[in-house]
Amino acid sequence: MREIVTSGVCLAIEGLTKRFGGFYALNDLSMEVAQGAIHGLIGPNGAGKTTFFNLLTGVLPPDSGKIVFEGEVVDDTRPSKRTVRGIARTFQNIRLFPHLTVLESVMIGEHCRVFPSVWKAFGKAVFQLPFHEAAEERQMRATALELLEFLGLADKHDHKASDLPYGEQRKLEMARALATQPKLLLLDEPAAGMNPHETEELDDIITRIRDRGTTVILVEHDMRLVMGICDRVTVINFGTKIADGPPEQIQNDPVVIEAYLGEDVEL
Amino acid sequence: MLYQQLINGLMLGASYSLVAIGYTLIFGVLNLLYFAHGEVFMIGAFVGLYMVTLGGANIYVALLGAMLASALVGVIAVYISVRPVSKDHPLAPLISTIGLTIVIQNLAIYIFGGQQVAFPDTISDTLYHIGPITISSVQIFILTVAVVLMALLWLFIERTKMGRAIRATAENHETAALLGVDVNRVVLMTFIIGSGIAGIAGVLDGIKNSGISPFMGIGAAVKGLIVMLLGGLGNVFGAMVAGLLLGMIEILTSAYIGTTQRDFFSFAILILILLYKPTGLFGTRTTEQR
Amino acid sequence: MLDSLFDGYTRSLLIFAGINVISAYSFYLPYKTGQVSLGQAGFMAVGAYASAVMTQKFGMPFAASLVVAGVIAGVVGVAVGFPALRIKGVYLLLLTLGFSEIIGVIALSWGYIGGAQGFPNISFNPFSLDYVTGLVIVLIFFFARLERSSLIAGLAGALFAHQATYLDSSTFGIMVSVEILMFVIVGGGSTYWGPFVGAVVLNAIPEILRSLHDWLELVPVSWTNYYPMNRIYDFLHSFLDFENAKRLIAFGLILIVMMIIKPDGLVTRDSLRHALRPLQFWRWKVRRA
Repeated sequence: MREIVTSGVCLAIEGLTKRFGGFYALNDLSMEVAQGAIHGLIGPNGAGKTTFFNLLTGVLPPDSGKIVFEGEVVDDTRPSKRTVRGIARTFQNIRLFPHLTVLESVMIGEHCRVFPSVWKAFGKAVFQLPFHEAAEERQMRATALELLEFLGLADKHDHKASDLPYGEQRKLEMARALATQPKLLLLDEPAAGMNPHETEELDDIITRIRDRGTTVILVEHDMRLVMGICDRVTVINFGTKIADGPPEQIQNDPVVIEAYLGEDVEL
Repeated sequence: MLYQQLINGLMLGASYSLVAIGYTLIFGVLNLLYFAHGEVFMIGAFVGLYMVTLGGANIYVALLGAMLASALVGVIAVYISVRPVSKDHPLAPLISTIGLTIVIQNLAIYIFGGQQVAFPDTISDTLYHIGPITISSVQIFILTVAVVLMALLWLFIERTKMGRAIRATAENHETAALLGVDVNRVVLMTFIIGSGIAGIAGVLDGIKNSGISPFMGIGAAVKGLIVMLLGGLGNVFGAMVAGLLLGMIEILTSAYIGTTQRDFFSFAILILILLYKPTGLFGTRTTEQR
Repeated sequence: MLDSLFDGYTRSLLIFAGINVISAYSFYLPYKTGQVSLGQAGFMAVGAYASAVMTQKFGMPFAASLVVAGVIAGVVGVAVGFPALRIKGVYLLLLTLGFSEIIGVIALSWGYIGGAQGFPNISFNPFSLDYVTGLVIVLIFFFARLERSSLIAGLAGALFAHQATYLDSSTFGIMVSVEILMFVIVGGGSTYWGPFVGAVVLNAIPEILRSLHDWLELVPVSWTNYYPMNRIYDFLHSFLDFENAKRLIAFGLILIVMMIIKPDGLVTRDSLRHALRPLQFWRWKVRRA
């Protein structure tokens, strides 16, 4: 058992349910994610993983159930508020800002920490000297460059986001999400489309993200990656939890093996 | 003669650019054809006029007042016709802003009357001769204000946090929201900036044509749409250049071909662009797909 | 036939309402396949001018000119529609808008059809109400089989020309296209009753506001002598005053409120089901899928 017991619960899900018409995308799902853990979330295609992320980030409202993040019930309706709370995500199909530079993209992520309201912004523009803005920008720039360094993208900071090769676009998404200073990072199939070398690098990056103190939920089809780095794995199928435990236990769980029957996945 | 026409074209184009900037900003962050923008332009012109005639303000104060009043109209527009309207119905915001267009235009007719009003001469009109070109102080004033405004906006868009947030939201507002960008705030700011600039454009237009009317909005709105498309949807830089370009094209056609054909050419350009280069001359900056 | 049932004012109201219903359906046809057009006024203009030319310059009877106008507008529609096939969304909106403005510029600059002076003295068609009613009935009952929206808009334009008897380049401006779009959206785009209801209601609102003002005159003077009734009366009196600008302001506000509280439009599947429920008692148990 590699259970992390030193810290408390980062995220607790209680009875989360989401219907689309008569179809239950998530049905009474409960789970806990420990602070500072890398928590794997796996399941066959269409099991409800993406819906789960959408509920967590506030893109969709749940039909019932509770999301408790850092001890507080999360019920903001706007995704940007969730980000301010400290939940960030990356996307399975990469969603960059194609015409922004790499550095700018990362700086966008910092906005939720430094952004004043419209009225305050006007107040600042009128009552403070412009170099305040410039100083803040310099600070943001430095932080963004640090993050890019962390992910090995620093030398490409002035490239347009759409000019990066695929694997680096994935890294940029992560850098952007990390720039929001999340307490919980949701990674949606980060290894999709990566070659084995890049996946190995990803393994290292995710571990280092965890070591920075960020809790990670990893949705992934690459079982080697999941079983290799996750502290705990939850398996869902048809919107319900079918197994939950450390990787070794999951790999040998007959229910899980049955759920994956017919899918080309090696547990 | 040609140089002279080019100067006139720049003058006309400058006001097109200023209107189109707001259009393209708003289209960028909301994917909305914001019809009321022309009316905001008209309100700016009237506020400027009354500040000069009733308030005795000088032209710079009038420009500032028109900008603030128009920005306020933009804020009102957001709170009554954009925020409360469901985003799930793609045409609902279009209709509600059309409703707003009708309200503003008829309020203006009700308050200011339905006639053209003469815009007072606020700048002493002297002519300067530079080589073959004759340029008046009024023209210099209008061009200077327009250029300074565009430069400031350019700096704002490229160099500030809000400008970057506006660009990111235009490219993909869902992703921007998930990265913690408060999209509502960005939309509000976009309306404030776009409307403020349109208000100044209204005053400049009043000075140039020495007359304004409550019906000047529709024409400006339609031209603004053409310029927005020509420059690439959501592309602020494109809108600036395309506005100047369209102004010159229009002046040249009316000088060398005929005044009635002028609009024909503009709309022909609109249709050709739509059919053969819908990304405009400088590329789109929105999530809208063809 | 129907003309004798109404006085002149009501008749012309009904005719213009009917023309609006027809133009609303012409918008609705492409709309239900996902194409939003802001150019219906352009097709109306084509039909109106075509019919006016046919009757005034070639002495054609109205019925024949109506057919010709429809065909010409239909042909123009094909010509515009062909390139428009590969365009969607806001680009189509702009394309149709541009087309309609080009028609306006042509109407303004072509001397043969009046140019800037407009096309005056178009023969008045005394049987417009019959034509309009017939067309509306055809549209409602055979709607699903119709193909050419521009043809229908052309017919609406031709009927308009022979009712208004005067045309110029501003008759079919951008606001006309916008109004047509509003008929459908306000009425509701999800059922084919929507355009009908939308056009009728939006035509009726200004008239209702006007008649409210007339009714206000019937309030006994003694009721309105004292505060606060006198203030309320004065306010309503000035608000409902028969003045175009004010009525249009109210109209615009109604549109905004409508989009906030009922963006689906007045007629939706659900509201139809509610309205028809008494007639469908045998289906009460059937639940929505």
